[in-house]
Amino acid sequence: MYGRKGYQLLKDFASGEKGQLKPFNSKLFDETIEECDQNHHLMQSLMRKMQQEDLDVQNSRNADHYGALIHHLSLMRNKRCLMAYVYNRAEIVRDLAWRVGLELLDLPSEIQEKLTSLEKEYFKNHSVTLKSYMGKVGIELNVDMVPPKDPYIKVRILDDIDEGIVLSDKTTNFARHSMHFLKRTDAEPYIARGQMEELTD
Amino acid sequence: MGIFKQREREIFDLMASSSEVGGSSADYETMMSTSDVELLKRAWRNEKAAPEILQYEGALVERAKEQIELVEETIEDYVENGKDPLLVSLYQMDLDRTQFLLRSYLRVRLVKIEKFMFHNLKSEEAERRLSEQERVFATKCADDLVKHFEETVLLKLPENYQSVLKQSQISEVDDMVPQPHLDTFVVCRSNNFVSLNLYEEGESPETVEMERGDLYFIRYKIVKGAIESGQIDLI
Repeated sequence: MYGRKGYQLLKDFASGEKGQLKPFNSKLFDETIEECDQNHHLMQSLMRKMQQEDLDVQNSRNADHYGALIHHLSLMRNKRCLMAYVYNRAEIVRDLAWRVGLELLDLPSEIQEKLTSLEKEYFKNHSVTLKSYMGKVGIELNVDMVPPKDPYIKVRILDDIDEGIVLSDKTTNFARHSMHFLKRTDAEPYIARGQMEELTD
Repeated sequence: MGIFKQREREIFDLMASSSEVGGSSADYETMMSTSDVELLKRAWRNEKAAPEILQYEGALVERAKEQIELVEETIEDYVENGKDPLLVSLYQMDLDRTQFLLRSYLRVRLVKIEKFMFHNLKSEEAERRLSEQERVFATKCADDLVKHFEETVLLKLPENYQSVLKQSQISEVDDMVPQPHLDTFVVCRSNNFVSLNLYEEGESPETVEMERGDLYFIRYKIVKGAIESGQIDLI
């Protein structure tokens, strides 16, 4: 039945949690593309048959015409399914760039596993575009994502960061499980990557 | 507790008098032009609530950037001269809030551009509303996405079906471009007395009349023009 694979592909995408990616389903994807090819061949052979019978391909309405029409419609539907799949995943990839960070290597490895190499390319290109805009405007746009309530917040370190942090007003050693009182703008990128957590009590 | 109250009084005195804080430009009231902050807040709220992208407030953004820089320098100055840390902290918080507004405003616009990439580049009206840099961003964003589509899907499909914007060569218009939903309902408040046509021109001319300060829950399309002219604000 034509179109079933495309439908399954989209159902696979929708069955993941909203905003989260599942691993790229290459099997279903390639099968859908094969079906498109099939549709195309069958459509062309039907059109050729009509031409051989000396019928006007555009305007005559016989069984072959309708057969070709079905193939054409199925092809378009498959194309829309495939593009919807890629487009929605790309949307989530862009979202990741905002929420987590602009460097590919900053993404946690569980997420990196789910992206194909083409999607990683797209992520890199998009980051470059964003960075160039931010550079031209002169303002960093991926800090300060939450309206500021207090300028300083209490955080607890979850991972071993040690020397890797640059703060705007002091230098401290960050051992795991230690608690600090940091400026919100300094701590935000680390919180987004899961290396620190905010203590609200 | 008593000390705290005394500090409060001191700070209020400082804010009230301009001579204490060295130079007229350092007076708290004029530190961040309040009308500009109000304008920024209004632009930010409208942008957040509207389903399509609104006119870029270039002059406002430039002024805001300059003022933020000025305040940052003043704060650094104060910290070096050992000014009262509580006062500095207040200025800092005010600065943070304004910076958040500016960043969020630009961010919301970028997200809208990303969402309706192809539509913004096709519609002249939308293109006019972008700043120069946003236009560059939108073009590059669209290029990235087209390239991604081509490599992942389109080049593997048969020839007549390889367009990004059209379903196939037979389609007469670009039928795969998502467009903003102008029919979404929004909450708005009117600043003046406004009378609007509820329906398209030529159909029954029913109008809705809004008094100053009235709140309305209405379709975006109807109030679109009034928002641009500043008569109505979105909430």
